[in-house]
Amino acid sequence: MSWLRNPWGRPRALVLVTALYIVWSIVPVVVAVLFAFNNGRSRTTWQGFSLRWFTGANGSVFHDPALQSALKHTLLLAVICVALCVPLGVLLALGLQRWRGHGSGTVNTLMLLPLVTPEIVMGVALLLLFLRVFPGVGLGTPAQAIGQVTFTLSYVVVMVRGRLASIGPDYEEAAADLGAPPRDQLVRVLLPLLAPAIIASAAVAFALSIDDFVVTQYLSGDASTTTVSMLLYASARGAPTPALNAIATVALVITLATLALAFFLYRRFAGARETAAVATLEM
Amino acid sequence: MAGEIHLAELTKVFDDVIAVDGIDLEIPPGEFFTLLGPSGCGKTTTLRMIAGFERPTSGRIVLDGVDVARVPPHKRSVNTVFQSYALFPHLNVAGNIAFGLKYHKLAKEERQRRVAEVLESVRMEGFAQRKPEQLSGGQQQRVALARALVLTPRVLLLDEPLGALDARLRKDLQVELKTLQNEVGITFVFVTHDQEEALTMSDRLAVMNDGRIEQAGSPREVYEEPTTEFVADFLGISNLLTGEADGRGGLTIGEWTFVCGQGATSARGDVKAMIRPERIVLEPYGSSGQNRLPGMIEHSVFLGGMHEIHVRVLGGELLKATVANDGSAQNVNLEHGAPVTLHLPEDALRLLAPPVTAQADNAAAAAERPVRTAPSR
Amino acid sequence: MGGRWTWRLAALPGVAWLSIFFLVALYAVVSVAFGNQDTLSQPVPFWNPLDWNVGYVLEALRNIWHGGPFLTAFLRTFEFVAIAMALSLAIGYPVAYYAARHAGRWKGLVLLLLIVPFWINYLMRMLAWINLLSPDGWGTRVLHDIGIERVFITLGLLSTRGGWLDGQQSTVLIALVYGYIPFLILPLFVALDRIDQRHLEAARDLGATPLSAFLRVTLPLSVPGILAGLVLVALPMFGDYYTPDLVCAAPKCNMIGNQIDQLTRQGSEKVTGAVLTIMLALLLLALMFYYLRTTRRAGTASAST
Repeated sequence: MSWLRNPWGRPRALVLVTALYIVWSIVPVVVAVLFAFNNGRSRTTWQGFSLRWFTGANGSVFHDPALQSALKHTLLLAVICVALCVPLGVLLALGLQRWRGHGSGTVNTLMLLPLVTPEIVMGVALLLLFLRVFPGVGLGTPAQAIGQVTFTLSYVVVMVRGRLASIGPDYEEAAADLGAPPRDQLVRVLLPLLAPAIIASAAVAFALSIDDFVVTQYLSGDASTTTVSMLLYASARGAPTPALNAIATVALVITLATLALAFFLYRRFAGARETAAVATLEM
Repeated sequence: MAGEIHLAELTKVFDDVIAVDGIDLEIPPGEFFTLLGPSGCGKTTTLRMIAGFERPTSGRIVLDGVDVARVPPHKRSVNTVFQSYALFPHLNVAGNIAFGLKYHKLAKEERQRRVAEVLESVRMEGFAQRKPEQLSGGQQQRVALARALVLTPRVLLLDEPLGALDARLRKDLQVELKTLQNEVGITFVFVTHDQEEALTMSDRLAVMNDGRIEQAGSPREVYEEPTTEFVADFLGISNLLTGEADGRGGLTIGEWTFVCGQGATSARGDVKAMIRPERIVLEPYGSSGQNRLPGMIEHSVFLGGMHEIHVRVLGGELLKATVANDGSAQNVNLEHGAPVTLHLPEDALRLLAPPVTAQADNAAAAAERPVRTAPSR
Repeated sequence: MGGRWTWRLAALPGVAWLSIFFLVALYAVVSVAFGNQDTLSQPVPFWNPLDWNVGYVLEALRNIWHGGPFLTAFLRTFEFVAIAMALSLAIGYPVAYYAARHAGRWKGLVLLLLIVPFWINYLMRMLAWINLLSPDGWGTRVLHDIGIERVFITLGLLSTRGGWLDGQQSTVLIALVYGYIPFLILPLFVALDRIDQRHLEAARDLGATPLSAFLRVTLPLSVPGILAGLVLVALPMFGDYYTPDLVCAAPKCNMIGNQIDQLTRQGSEKVTGAVLTIMLALLLLALMFYYLRTTRRAGTASAST
């Protein structure tokens, strides 16, 4: 096995670099989460373990109106986003994958564009759209929801399409052959096989919505449309309490839990290799 | 009358590729019929049109007197066994088999009874609760078969169902399928590129090439009396000789003349003749008589029960003759490099017509219509 | 399975949505950029190209031509992005290489650990750094104790002791690398993972040393992945404004994103903001289409397996 020696001298160098990187990557976040449980107002000096910033009487996530409002609004937007972009995305994926004839290339490019557009460009574009094209809608929750759907749609399409491609047309043909009319082919065969991808893309859309910042901020109306991300941005440089860490932790836990659940479901139905491909968003 | 198929001028064009070029076919009810040909010859497309997955560009598909060419697949009483089996991964074996029964409006007990019955007929009892991923290739194939048969179709279509299996399993399943078809009595339309399989299993078969039917007939007919070079070459070893025909069965190759007793004996000009390896008689070099051709032994392959002798003849072609290892060729020197005389008996030497495509081109040229496509291979 | 129009109809809602909320929105930016401002300093878009007012566009171009703040912002953005990407590649490639080719039993775990930051809120990760680098933060103390702080000060990369968050460009670079490197490592991982081991075995069989095999086989084969990853990271980084804002908040850290943000969302110069947005988008157009072309080709390849 000596020929497997890596070019930098010894594999140990690589292991070291990787280990250092992983530590450097994750430890700051772990520390931030840790300080959410700090028994004191400091975010830099440990003063003992406490849940006060989560459930305490003053200024905690459960009792501070501003924090609560942000958390609720974040979840509201996430739910609306998923509710809209998953059906739209599944339909678009089906349409694109089975498109016969010309035009599919253009639509495909259109679908992929939001993925490569920098968020600030989208933010400015949507801002101007809701100020000048749809002034009736204006800024606020509807605008934020629409903006989020617009850029998460592409993620849903890509994930569902990937699964569609690996399913192939055989099963629906078999169903038709056995007497199933087109509606049954969809409902009895295609959708059950597509379910893991649909669930996974819903989880991804949920996570993207919670984590989103630029578009959400640009389309925000007044203080009532603040999300957790916006709160983090506004308060980070000030002198906030660990409640900020706490709310960030709550959002983090919700996001990771949703994703973990969805990917375990996906793995059960689709196998490990396909899951890894989806997880790294191989496009 | 159940299960009679009649294809009339059936054509399918994809963009600018003619996949199936106006074929005509009659398949009587209850027959095991095979579509045989190389990849891309149009056999699978034809099958898919009968099933309903492809809409014909023109032509008719008449099933028991009714033209079903425009009828969607879920309304035809024709069922398919797919090459990939296409068993639904999210249903178990019983669920897969019962899938189509839902459209037959049966009571639950009746459904279950039929599922059990068909599982027994393919010898898969006890597998009802398994999932497809837990089955081997051969088992999946039987479930796919059961799933189609439980619906008592008039015609069963099989698209290279044995392609994914190893050689021994294939042989076993070939016998099973043939037996099953005899028992059930419905028309089977079988697609394969394996000529041995086709010859073994079929009542009748059609050899296809480039979207057209070269020849249709019983296995014996197609093997022993091929009408074109393509058919001769595709089924077994054909041993083709090129020469000039005189229109009365006489064939001249170089300075040697032969009498051909079979095939297109009225053909003139440049033709090919064929003889099956088992009909060539090896004689000591220099033996005289009608239809003798000298050559040199290049190679001798031991095949167990017989030898396959490769002989290079004076026209440059390599002929393969089989000699049974029963002592019949004892007086012939079969060493590498030895000269030998080949006797090509008159009743085994067959004159061939050019391939169907070239025939059509010639006819078209004669009638001064545009030739169909690029020169045939 | 259904007519030609069934599936196109299915795609219709999604296409309509993207047309309205993406294409029309982009056109709105163009129309505002070539538009005007009303008496309330609100932007007035000119929808008809024949009516377009090039006034604001010319002014912005003049600003750039004469070396004004816009030019400075563009140049500084290029500088930051270039340095951040170089650093990210230097750190990320070995990590991706290890994970893809040498991780062995640990591959799944390592991959998981590489994926996780991908899904953690970007702002939370920045928040974590702000915590650590604040004057009394753990990070500041550690950097001081192991001497890195002194090195940075000597090199002129840090102005005052403990002043990491006090308007330092180097902090912005560190933050950018930290923030975007996961987005680079994953495509690199995928590209390196895909390289068939047998190519390397063949090279070794033909007499190459490990280093030579790497340089002549692995590295060239990973180049498309490197390019794809760099482009994937460069695109959002060019438009970044929140990172400098969070860790620096001083004009000397301003990237072009900050300029746009100040003019559009925060200020009342939306027309100029729109102009700069168009300029940024045009600049990145080439990168965007390059990435689309390469992933489309890869997408069809993987779909057929």
